[in-house]
Amino acid sequence: MTALLEVRERIKQFYSRFEIYILPVVKFLVAFIVLQVINSKMSYMAKIDRLPVVLIAALLCSFLPNGCIVFFGAVFSLLHTYAMAKEAALIVLCLYLILFLLVFRFSPKESLLVVLTPILFVMKIPYVVPIAAGLLLTPAAIVSACSGVVVYYALSAVLGSYSNLMTMGEDTLGKVRYLVDALVGSKTTVVICAAFAFTILGVYLLRRLSVDYAWSIAMGAGAVLNIVVILVGDYVLDLDISVGGVILGTLLALVIAKIIEFFRFCVDYSRTEKVQFEDDEYYYYVKAVPKMTVAAPTKTVKTINTTRDGRGRDVETEYTGGRRGKGSDRRGRSVTIGSTDMEGYAGDEYGYEGEYAEGDYAADGEYAEGGEYVAEGEYAEGGEYAEGDYAGDGEYAEDGEYEDYEGYEEEYSEDEES
Amino acid sequence: MLNEKRVILMTRLAAYEQGEGKKNVAIGNYFRSDYLTINILKAFVCATIAYLIVFGLYVLYNFEVFMQDLYKIDLVVLAKSVLKYYVITVAAYVILTYVFCTYRYLKARKNLKAYYQNLKKLNSLYGVDGESTGKSGKRGGGKGRR
Repeated sequence: MTALLEVRERIKQFYSRFEIYILPVVKFLVAFIVLQVINSKMSYMAKIDRLPVVLIAALLCSFLPNGCIVFFGAVFSLLHTYAMAKEAALIVLCLYLILFLLVFRFSPKESLLVVLTPILFVMKIPYVVPIAAGLLLTPAAIVSACSGVVVYYALSAVLGSYSNLMTMGEDTLGKVRYLVDALVGSKTTVVICAAFAFTILGVYLLRRLSVDYAWSIAMGAGAVLNIVVILVGDYVLDLDISVGGVILGTLLALVIAKIIEFFRFCVDYSRTEKVQFEDDEYYYYVKAVPKMTVAAPTKTVKTINTTRDGRGRDVETEYTGGRRGKGSDRRGRSVTIGSTDMEGYAGDEYGYEGEYAEGDYAADGEYAEGGEYVAEGEYAEGGEYAEGDYAGDGEYAEDGEYEDYEGYEEEYSEDEES
Repeated sequence: MLNEKRVILMTRLAAYEQGEGKKNVAIGNYFRSDYLTINILKAFVCATIAYLIVFGLYVLYNFEVFMQDLYKIDLVVLAKSVLKYYVITVAAYVILTYVFCTYRYLKARKNLKAYYQNLKKLNSLYGVDGESTGKSGKRGGGKGRR
């Protein structure tokens, strides 16, 4: 577990530092997958079912706002349905327009769910959506997730009616009637929408409880709620939903939700900020780099010399190498912990000190690298940019005094590491 | 001279304005009544268009019936029922928008509180520092342009 946490911290550090490059890449990949899935499932229009077209669209999505992925997804699916049957395109266009006019206005932030939900349906893991949305978003996501469900079932209905439409020949009105019937008559859509809505709401309410393991409880309860609602709907409306598929899918969703929980910093982390502003005297171009409170351990050289100091005390010296910044004077400090009662310091006691020191120095390294960071000390004081009290630690280590920690008298001193 | 405290405060404010506060600041620029009116107007237009689309589909769906019974249908009754559904749809959507926007506005104002406090703080920092140079004029607004 510790190794995993370390990996997470490393990823977090990496992500918060290079977010500006990582985000476009992620957006590109999402857009690419979305468009590829649409092409593979629909593939009626050969012109857009080509890799270069998909790549161009995905590249555009990578630097344009999130809504572009939704837009391109809609355009691609529309073009494919158009190539399939004009009537189908008309119906799908009407559906998209209604969603755009009535739904997206409220929650543009969550509109990506409208695209991701059908894609996850295709990937057979649709139940990730309500659980993850409940964990990461607000109940407003219900609208977007349900829209995604509607879009998926509408497109499935349209695709499913391909052979029937072909037999209808030129009967436009008949085709429209057939498609509208297929769309409106789907009770499965209603049941899945209800399950998603209840699950998102349930997960959201539970994960906000101030109890231990709120996230895990929320996930478990959400999974059960999802299964129950679908099964009840299936029973009451006499549908043909595969029970095994629902249970398996939900279990898979739980696993994915656990992974999401592990990496939840994606929605809540302090990122590197680059801002520009001005006042009467100056233009400011500021890059604010967040301090890392719990840093991934870097190479630590721990030399323990048990010697007698002048006052007859056992002195233990611990060298902790921190990460150094590019331009910094390669400062490495050692923390000396002296005590009259060496037995009092059990292994984990030292472990704690080691951690503390590492975290602290890693933060120093960050500073040094982000050379433009203005007035580090002030940030530490403000405590808002630095995530915890450890922000100030650098200072008190320098002070050289840290008394009465858990009943021990300790002295910290600084040496220069050569 | 650079005033570090001020720079930090401005950095924080600018980061908020660019990031999560972007929307809130935009909402905070409106009076509540203005914000609601604009959104209700938008909702009205959107609901009308959406209703027209659904109505169009409905007509297309029942096109043959309409054509057959065109002369038998009481157009006044039909118009009344169409209007009735239109009013219900638009009213429901407008009410929904009203509730949602009120909530969003209040939330945004609440979020902006800390931001405004920091602006005041910045203002006072300029006040202390800029007394002699008389540059208190720009104050918080200074971080506006980017």
